[in-house]
Amino acid sequence: MCSVQEGEDVSPARKEKIVEERTCMKCEKKAVLVTRVNDAFCKECFMVYVTHKFRAAIGKSKLIRDGESVLVGVSGGQASSCLLHLIQEGLSGRAHKKLRFKPGLVFIDEGATIGMSAEERLANCTQVLEIMEKTGFPCYLKALEQAMELEKEAFTNTADQTDTASVTSVENLTKLHRYDKAEEELLALMDSLKSVSAKEDLIKSLRQKILIDLALKKGYSKVMLGDCSTRLAVQLLTDIAQGRGAHVAMDTAFADNRCNDITIVRPIRDFSSKEVAMFNILNNVPSVFIPRITTKAADSVSIEHLTERFVTGLQAEYPSTTSNIMRTGEKLHTEKKSSSENQCAICQAPLDTDVPPSSALSAVRFSETVSRCSSVTLSIFSTDTACCGGGTCQSEGQKESECCGQGDGSCQSKESKLTRDEVESALCYACRLLIKDLGDVSKLPKHILDDISQRQRRTKMKSEIEDFLLDPSNTPD
Amino acid sequence: MPIKCNLCEAGAILKRPKTGDALCKNCFYFAFEEEVHKTITDANLFVRGETVAIGASGGKDSTVLAYVLKALNQRYDYGVNLVLLSVDEGITGYRDDSLETVKRNQQQYDLPLKIVSYEELYGWTMDAIVKQIGLKNNCTFCGVFRRQALDRGAILMKVDRIVTGHNADDIAETVIMNVLRGDIGRLQRCTAITTGTEGALPRSKPFKYTYEKEIVMYAYFKKLDYFSTECIYSPNAYRGFARAYIKDLEKIRPSAIIDIIHSGESLSVKKAVKLPTQGTCERCGYISSNPLCKACILLEGLNRGLPRLGIGKSHKERRKLNEMLAQKEEAGNEKTTPDNSRETTENASSEKSASGSSKQKCENCSCGQKCLAEKVEDLQLDRRKIDPALIDF
Repeated sequence: MCSVQEGEDVSPARKEKIVEERTCMKCEKKAVLVTRVNDAFCKECFMVYVTHKFRAAIGKSKLIRDGESVLVGVSGGQASSCLLHLIQEGLSGRAHKKLRFKPGLVFIDEGATIGMSAEERLANCTQVLEIMEKTGFPCYLKALEQAMELEKEAFTNTADQTDTASVTSVENLTKLHRYDKAEEELLALMDSLKSVSAKEDLIKSLRQKILIDLALKKGYSKVMLGDCSTRLAVQLLTDIAQGRGAHVAMDTAFADNRCNDITIVRPIRDFSSKEVAMFNILNNVPSVFIPRITTKAADSVSIEHLTERFVTGLQAEYPSTTSNIMRTGEKLHTEKKSSSENQCAICQAPLDTDVPPSSALSAVRFSETVSRCSSVTLSIFSTDTACCGGGTCQSEGQKESECCGQGDGSCQSKESKLTRDEVESALCYACRLLIKDLGDVSKLPKHILDDISQRQRRTKMKSEIEDFLLDPSNTPD
Repeated sequence: MPIKCNLCEAGAILKRPKTGDALCKNCFYFAFEEEVHKTITDANLFVRGETVAIGASGGKDSTVLAYVLKALNQRYDYGVNLVLLSVDEGITGYRDDSLETVKRNQQQYDLPLKIVSYEELYGWTMDAIVKQIGLKNNCTFCGVFRRQALDRGAILMKVDRIVTGHNADDIAETVIMNVLRGDIGRLQRCTAITTGTEGALPRSKPFKYTYEKEIVMYAYFKKLDYFSTECIYSPNAYRGFARAYIKDLEKIRPSAIIDIIHSGESLSVKKAVKLPTQGTCERCGYISSNPLCKACILLEGLNRGLPRLGIGKSHKERRKLNEMLAQKEEAGNEKTTPDNSRETTENASSEKSASGSSKQKCENCSCGQKCLAEKVEDLQLDRRKIDPALIDF
């Protein structure tokens, strides 16, 4: 989650205005760093400031209870290493007021997405694991391809108990590479996505799915992530650029409660990447650099990568950019829908596709209709304003697919292939864009497809009994 | 092998930037016009019998808008009465040329045209303003003044609604700008297809979902006559960043522009967040979220030789203003001490009636000159009342 670009802020081109000798704004001692334009700190005061920010964020939210188990996502990068260090400090006896939650650590190996060799992946895992093991907290190791094998219902899964068990010795690492079939599936999925933007987006959703799944299985009720403000500001703009406006608040707020049982928290969201980097340097916090799908790529390779360049570029000229963006995000919220059928099957965020006739979504559908159907068809469509028939005139793959006809939701038929339209109906606006990039929808991870077909069956069931339901909006959860 | 049009048998001549489909010329016209028609009908932009002013700058967006609306009004019988409305900012070498285009358009499309100028409304041309303020922040003046100028022109023409040529790219850019600036009030408003429903004249953007590139294509193939020169005064630098970002995004994923608009439409603001309440300006009666509208503050700054009033950090300018007022008061005290108190009460009452009737006055008077003369009088009358408000600001 952290990358080289974030680290770049550490040594900005010094302007001559900055005087070499400055004193700490708190204690008048010699300052060692400058956080913002005029805020110079000595090492001690900076540590106090950072630690306070971290603890205040946790304290203010009142979300983390005493003795609660919290799963901490560690990527090996700067920000999550910083978070890990802060947690360790907070739990140690030295701390002024001890933090009271019980952390467990997880590292997700995403080497498969950039075609790393088994040796490289092993080397990376070993490095991160070493850091994680030193803390003495329970550690877990996961690979992104495991997302392909997840079951829809996390609790019913018993098959891979041994694989998800706490990996505490380096020898056990070889276990990771048993996921050959899953790795192939993941690679096939990645290959069938045309754009890097969509790949990045999907990786993010899969990563989140693994975190949530592991937390559920191991009895954690919170997932803690080391997203810093620079990272989140980029995320916020990326969200907007990808049509995720409705989910901005969830993606960047302190607490993300899109999943009912697990809350994702981001305790260092007030730290700039500069503060993170300086904290790590001053404390000799080790971090591991692991290349990602956009590392060393051109700016225009993906939306997220472009946005990162845009934000960091602006930040260099206008130092308030990140905080301005974050301030905007704080004023927004995401409306949560109660029923899980109103959640996107991929990113779990509430669906944002229920829109009035005059909206971007219906304008897009109309554009597709109007430039893909002959004018004769169109005149039929235009008489019916509610119909936007985006997919109905695309000829390919429009075979009616019914499930085996049990109608009681117990359909097990593997043959029933979901059509593109059926998949789309269960996705949010942004994940639909992702699917548009995907050659073959059946390549999606099994848990997503299962979820969608289950929804299909339920909708079908509902339509069959609809006439006898007293309140049509009343659905059992 | 030539690519066939997606819809008919003819050869395709373009790939739609919005959907990537190959279309022939006629099918593109058809798709383009149908989409604008759908935007208009879905959002109920037009009511039969209304007079609608098209904000015409002579640029591509407004030229195409005028052309398409006239065509659609005939084809689908909206029953609205279209007129052209232009604002003359007084920029030599730019606006005078583009206004020539508007005048030609007026004849080509046979629509009535009204031009209002900054000079007659505010007593300042942009050329004169730039002389005062320089090339930084001049766009602030132009933007703030134009918004009001369009409304005033529309009132003079007795229209019911204004439509502008803002396209999807413009709106996406504004969404990004408002996120960068943390301006939650505008962020919420900027994606609305119609604004100013209460109080002011409603303003709509029929091109809200139309890509800038497609507008250019439409104008290009229809050989429409439009003026394409950048304003000679440097464009807004910060907006330039947002614009470049949008263009880069569009290259990566062409739907990004509509996606951003979707994001803007689906944003929801926390209930606890205080939004600026829209009131009316105490002086000119125009909608404003402060006691005085931005245009009045900027204008006051210009007239008093403090052109930076209302731009950037306010405290420095306020201090200057305070100093000036203090000096004036000293000078004034010597002269007008005896009837000071009487004057203020008199002013207050006359000010009230003046602001109340100013709208009507503008509506009634046909020539701008007379209106201006009255405005100058108003200005002198209400200056005393404005000062405290300015200091508050």
